[in-house]
Amino acid sequence: MIKVKGLKKAFGDHMVLKGIDYEVEKGEKIVVVGPSGSGKSTFLRCLNLLEKPTEGEIWFEDQLITDPKAKLDEIREHMGMVFQQFNLFNNLTILKNITLAPVKLKLMSKEEAEEKAFQLLDRIGLRDKAGAYPSQLSGGQKQRIAIVRALAMNPKVMLFDEPTSALDPEMVGEVLAVMKELAESGMTMVVVTHEMGFAREVGTKVLFMDDGLILEENTPQEFFAHPQNPRLQDFLSKVL
Amino acid sequence: MEWLQSIGDYFYNLLIAQERYMTILKGLGNTLVIAAAAAVIGITLGMLVAMIKYFCQGRKAFRPLEWLCNVYVTAIRGTPVMVQLFIWSLVILTSWTNALPIACIGFGFNSGAYVAEIIRAGIAAIDPGQEEASRSLGLSKAATMRYIIMPQAIKNILPALGNEFIVLLKETSVAGYIAVNDLTRAGSIIKTVTYDGNIYFVIALIYLAMVMGLTKLLKLLERRLAKSDKG
Repeated sequence: MIKVKGLKKAFGDHMVLKGIDYEVEKGEKIVVVGPSGSGKSTFLRCLNLLEKPTEGEIWFEDQLITDPKAKLDEIREHMGMVFQQFNLFNNLTILKNITLAPVKLKLMSKEEAEEKAFQLLDRIGLRDKAGAYPSQLSGGQKQRIAIVRALAMNPKVMLFDEPTSALDPEMVGEVLAVMKELAESGMTMVVVTHEMGFAREVGTKVLFMDDGLILEENTPQEFFAHPQNPRLQDFLSKVL
Repeated sequence: MEWLQSIGDYFYNLLIAQERYMTILKGLGNTLVIAAAAAVIGITLGMLVAMIKYFCQGRKAFRPLEWLCNVYVTAIRGTPVMVQLFIWSLVILTSWTNALPIACIGFGFNSGAYVAEIIRAGIAAIDPGQEEASRSLGLSKAATMRYIIMPQAIKNILPALGNEFIVLLKETSVAGYIAVNDLTRAGSIIKTVTYDGNIYFVIALIYLAMVMGLTKLLKLLERRLAKSDKG
């Protein structure tokens, strides 16, 4: 579904990604872990071209999206993204946050979009917040809304950029529960996270990134039970 | 009661005789026309410049356009408005016989540069995450500006924008130098006849009343726009 070939990204002189090759199959749940500054968020942000790669190719369903002529806006409609800082639109109500993109992009009528939004809000138990503004919600609620907002576009893949890192500890669970349910529904997911429990439980593959490279890729069982790379062994000994 | 009589006579002579109040009212009308027209031109130009700067950012092909905007803002903000007015009326628009539209254009172009900077700063203050989230949903840069960034920016810049229009209203008082009969010049006209400088107190009070009214209006608008911030 997503194919990455020789992906490099530099910010000025600083090489953040030093050559990534990877392929995400439909239905997979790829969890990316690694120390801060390892390039894992940049890798994720390259997948929907929020960061423009310096070198390399990214294919999404047989379309070369790193091609300068690629229709980025259209491609992004199919790739949902959830951010560490939620990034709900502060000037819009929750309902408008969810319906804005599908309505303005003419994918749904206003009525259809609102019906879909209420269905999604029911799923996460926040129907009563439809008329509220983001500033009136807790962090956990905001992040669940952000997930739902991305889902309203019916994306083919969901990208999560440290979705629980900015949350108070007692709110991490509710967000992970929504993500687990999403995983069970068959969604293709790429998740950058520090939640090792989530990686073990939900991931079909776990990647370890450090210093701009993927150093290890394995099933969760093997990844945590028999880490090969010494840097991964060191990393796991610190976080587990 | 003689002193009361003399105060009455004084004000009659200052404001009423020879229809002096009409001179003041006409001046006030011209001042309002200049300020309003300049505000409209200023917002339009300022918005245009801010948008050009935003959408051209990092695109090589649009460098010249960006450069032109920078020259405009620098030239306007770096020179006195009175000198700009002289250039408009004595160099650029010499064939125009009516000074009023020249003043509107002069003050409008002047205000545009300040408005452009206010809007640019307002946009820059919005969390980049807002734009990223919008783009990640497939919304274009233009749609993101229209539905997400600009509504939030407007709310933040309203006090600065209001301040700019208060300054603009008062600055129109130099329009008399290019022969526009504005409110200040009305005072001067009356003074040359009556030899009484106190007329300027009357003029000052009128400006003060207008500024206070404008301030109140902006406060109301701000409060209305602040509604999505509750919580």
